[in-house]
Amino acid sequence: MKVNGVDGERLVLETFLRLRRSGLNLGLDEYFAGLALVSGAEGAIPFARDLDSLKRSLKSIWCTSESEQKQFDPDWQKALAVVQATGSDSRETENATPLPPRPAVEPPLPTPTGFTQPPSESVTENVTPSSLDATAQPVRAPFTPAEIERPSELQSYSPVSRRFMSYSWRYLRRTVEAGPAELLDVEATVQQTAQQGFYLEPVLRQRDQNQAQLLLLIDQNGSMMPLHQFTREVANTAFYNSGLPPEQVFVYYFQNVPADYIYKDVYLTQPEELKAVLAACDSDTSVLVVSDAGAARGYRRLERIRATVRFLTQLRRTTQLCAWLNPIPAERWSGNSAEMIANLVPMFQMDNDGLSNAIDVVRGLLVLPTPP
Amino acid sequence: MKFFTGNPNNRPANPHPESPVREPYLATEELVNAVNLAIFLKRPLLLEGEAGCGKTRLASAVAYELGYPLYRWNIRSKTRYQEGLYEYDALLRLHDVNLSQKLDDATAEGERAVDPSQVDNYLDLKQLGKAFELEDCPAVVLIDEIDKADLDFPNDLLTVLEEPYEFTIRETGKPVRAHYPPIVIITSNKEKGNLPAPFLRRCVYHFIEFPNQPEQLKQIVEIHFPPAEAATVEGQPSPPPADLVDTAIARFLAVRKQKGLAKLPGTSEFLDWLRVLAQFGVQAPYSAADLPEDGPLPYRELLFKLRSDWRQAGFSASS
Repeated sequence: MKVNGVDGERLVLETFLRLRRSGLNLGLDEYFAGLALVSGAEGAIPFARDLDSLKRSLKSIWCTSESEQKQFDPDWQKALAVVQATGSDSRETENATPLPPRPAVEPPLPTPTGFTQPPSESVTENVTPSSLDATAQPVRAPFTPAEIERPSELQSYSPVSRRFMSYSWRYLRRTVEAGPAELLDVEATVQQTAQQGFYLEPVLRQRDQNQAQLLLLIDQNGSMMPLHQFTREVANTAFYNSGLPPEQVFVYYFQNVPADYIYKDVYLTQPEELKAVLAACDSDTSVLVVSDAGAARGYRRLERIRATVRFLTQLRRTTQLCAWLNPIPAERWSGNSAEMIANLVPMFQMDNDGLSNAIDVVRGLLVLPTPP
Repeated sequence: MKFFTGNPNNRPANPHPESPVREPYLATEELVNAVNLAIFLKRPLLLEGEAGCGKTRLASAVAYELGYPLYRWNIRSKTRYQEGLYEYDALLRLHDVNLSQKLDDATAEGERAVDPSQVDNYLDLKQLGKAFELEDCPAVVLIDEIDKADLDFPNDLLTVLEEPYEFTIRETGKPVRAHYPPIVIITSNKEKGNLPAPFLRRCVYHFIEFPNQPEQLKQIVEIHFPPAEAATVEGQPSPPPADLVDTAIARFLAVRKQKGLAKLPGTSEFLDWLRVLAQFGVQAPYSAADLPEDGPLPYRELLFKLRSDWRQAGFSASS
């Protein structure tokens, strides 16, 4: 269907592809929903009456947050420009067939007000030389609007969504039957009654309890400064959304390397002896360290590595269930202390997969080959 | 397929008996469009926006205008998705089996029929179940504050709110299929973070902006306080004086522009405040001259719900 003289289906397709490229999570279902709007079917007309209403409608069905809605506009503009340009192209080619091949140039953005104006002539002028002497022509690079590759990345640093963290923590469980026997086991009661031939008493069993313990050690300050918002979210979700009782989650903070003392608060003012913290743990306690291990600034300081080794040896005497989460991408570990530390302890990049794997490691499920 | 226009006068002459009563509501053009998209594409409409800007009220307005019944499902932290479909009372049925033996085959106890052989007596369709069962028109289902629910809830819900709009009652094995796909309106405050991506993808999304223009607020006041001769309900209050409305709007918008407020008051707070100014206390209606620009606000307890905001408003209003 034509919308203001523009091919609706093509416009929907072009916008859809562009939005996908800029990172929106859209599937075929969403594409078909968009197509339904321009299908011209009964009832669909009001959504594609003109370009403005089509734009608004597509925004409603494809964008699911305010920031995504902001992202929509530039992609729509570009898609519209492309469709309008190619639309007029095909008309031209029908009239005069042999045209010099065009360079694949993205037409310039039309001004927002000029939806109906024909595509600007500057492109056509560039490719049809009026004189043969090409060298005498002033050379001008065709204007290509700079593409912002992934504007969503600028908005906030959040490699793992809060939701995913909450989910992941739930996998951290070690169920043990504990406490008084108070749960009626219907099946066993029926079984027992049938065996004995008469009913004597109900069979009770203990309730399942999640006895997993989590010790989170979070690097604060210095190179971790830009990630504070994020690490706080890690601690918060572990504390409130993990499904673990609060007395089984310990969060401590340190700067650079966990030394003899670690801290109970983010401002590093309430020290606690590392020995005492570790003494409260047992061999089933899961320990997760969140730190860049020097990768943020790319240092390779021997003191830092040595101190980390000392900490890890101390930790290993208590529990083997430890993993390291590094918020800095793995490509940036090479050549600095992070690479060395990654050899000593399972270290994972902080993304969805990394977090899941780290939790598997501290549950004792995923055993990584550790170098001797 | 009937569409929403935002004009309550378009209500059909013979609405469904369970259709709600009239709800004064001012829908922007974008919002009307989003509602219609949801109706046209048969997808849920997800509404977000500040607290108190009319997310929940929209559902009644839509149901009123189209003459459809409204089923409201309030989500709590322990809600499971099945609670919105049906409830089966196994205990009552067991009780009735014992009772009917004692009653010597009488089939009624007081008002209630006692017949444990009929499973339907113990089956209660809930909001979505009722909406699926309607035979002559679709229903509007409001799923209020979906973000309160457990993490898995939205994903569970998806399986029901998709073609072929069907679920099975496990206890009877009977499938329930929607005659008309319901118009589903979902509200969220994002209290526990984002909803899952597959769920979001299915929804039509609209963010309700606060009406920041004085004219918009004035329109809202007009439809909430209709003039006395047009009053539909007996004993409806007369509209507040025009100068009071104008001053109150100006003061209220100034409050919202203030720096340092932790929670901005929304439309519903404004309407409460205006109602109190116009009708409450010995000096009602409050005279517009008593609402100076720099004096402390009267009845600030209606607008500010946090201690710091409340105190700040007590000292000054426009600074």
